Amino acid sequence: MKLRKLVTTFAAIALMLGTASAQAADLRVGVEGAYPPFSWKEADGTLKGFDIEIAEAVCAELKRKCVLVEQDWDGMIPALLARKFDTIIASMSITEERKKRVDFSDKYYNTPAKFVAKKGAGLQISKSGLKGKRIGLQRGTTHQCFMEKMYPEAELVLYGTQEEVFQDLAIGRIDAQFSDSIAADDGFLKTDAGKDFEFTGGDQHDEACHGPGAGMAVRKSDTELRDDLNRAIKALRANGTYQKINAKYFEYDIFGG
Amino acid sequence: MNLIIEYQAQLLAGTWVTIQLALISLVIAVMFGLIGAWAKLSKNFIAQKTAAGYTTIVRGVPDLVLILLVFYGGQQMINSFGAVTGLWDYVEVSQFAAGAGTIGIVFGGYMTETFRGAILSIPRGQIEAGIACGMDRITIFRRIIWPQMVRYALPGFSNNWLVQIKSTALVSVIGLQDVVYNGFVAGRSTRQLFTFMFAVLMIYLVLTAISDVALRWLDRRYSRGIVRTDHG
Repeated sequence: MKLRKLVTTFAAIALMLGTASAQAADLRVGVEGAYPPFSWKEADGTLKGFDIEIAEAVCAELKRKCVLVEQDWDGMIPALLARKFDTIIASMSITEERKKRVDFSDKYYNTPAKFVAKKGAGLQISKSGLKGKRIGLQRGTTHQCFMEKMYPEAELVLYGTQEEVFQDLAIGRIDAQFSDSIAADDGFLKTDAGKDFEFTGGDQHDEACHGPGAGMAVRKSDTELRDDLNRAIKALRANGTYQKINAKYFEYDIFGG
Repeated sequence: MNLIIEYQAQLLAGTWVTIQLALISLVIAVMFGLIGAWAKLSKNFIAQKTAAGYTTIVRGVPDLVLILLVFYGGQQMINSFGAVTGLWDYVEVSQFAAGAGTIGIVFGGYMTETFRGAILSIPRGQIEAGIACGMDRITIFRRIIWPQMVRYALPGFSNNWLVQIKSTALVSVIGLQDVVYNGFVAGRSTRQLFTFMFAVLMIYLVLTAISDVALRWLDRRYSRGIVRTDHG
């Protein structure tokens, strides 16, 4: 194991310096910081949100020091592969496509996806109802996979971030948007810009696209870390830490069935 | 507005990163530009072809592609090389070094052409006169080529520099926390993307306006003794 070699090297150096430093056990976690309420940045530069607290709880559970590494979404997997950090805890859905490049822990939450449109727009969520409609979504997500598979008749408008999708929905450049329901509820519907909009069409799910939920990604060679993460997720669910964090941000358990 | 004041530390820290990045990549670009121009004008076949290859590649490939290649690809390459040879286990390519280096090398390609054109604009007879006076090559460069090259190169240089300042925005993709990255993260965190995009825009305008003043001062300084006429 390369990681173990690194750890022993570090430990040897720490020993030589005569410091009983815990640095050898640092867990570097890639996080996004631009996806409220899962992760965002405060004015003083600190990172906050559900993903961040889960990451810290996982580190505490594994008794390793957390080093949060901020990373732009588009470069998340390349940065993991380039060993900029050891795991991604950034609301990344477990998908077959991503599994070709990285390994995932078990899910740590699973929230349904939903459409959002203007109140009273009467948008029908069906092949004929969405035909030619402009549907906004964040590119490279499970939602893009879902729309391309289920509703190829719709005209997809792709954005780099979820915030931009909301912006364009608010000014009417798209007919509806499709995203995670929590992100849409907290990020848009509950804000001033979203007061004239509503969920439409109920929960959308396609196992092949959406997968089991959001997981923590690790490099394929890091099976040991993956097992550790799985153990930590189970422990957090069992000892109530997860539920405590969950309650701070959401009204119901987002772990899913 | 209140939000911008609240997040001003973030924006200022980002602006500082942008300024450092722009200045350091400028130094690299000027160095590559001077070496490139010298190589292109030299009689050495290898130097000529190397410089031609360099400007063709860096001016022909999108900056963003190069940055991603250097940052992610470069690190993977270095690490797999280390793994194969057993020389090292993990080397971190710093975001700043990858960003400043790539932008500097890319704009060095543009600077090469700007400097080459400027040197060619200097009447050949002046250099011959220098040789006739018994000046060595360094003196000729210092007294004849450099002062006039700067004057001829300034308009093109100014263009390159303004584009280069804005190109630093590309590094936000590799997670370097420049003014664009910090502005967008703040915008998304507060859900006021427009407010912060506008702030970032104003910061760039201020930076380019300051450069404009500096460049005009340089232009005046290197145009001393030359009368401008309407026909240029």
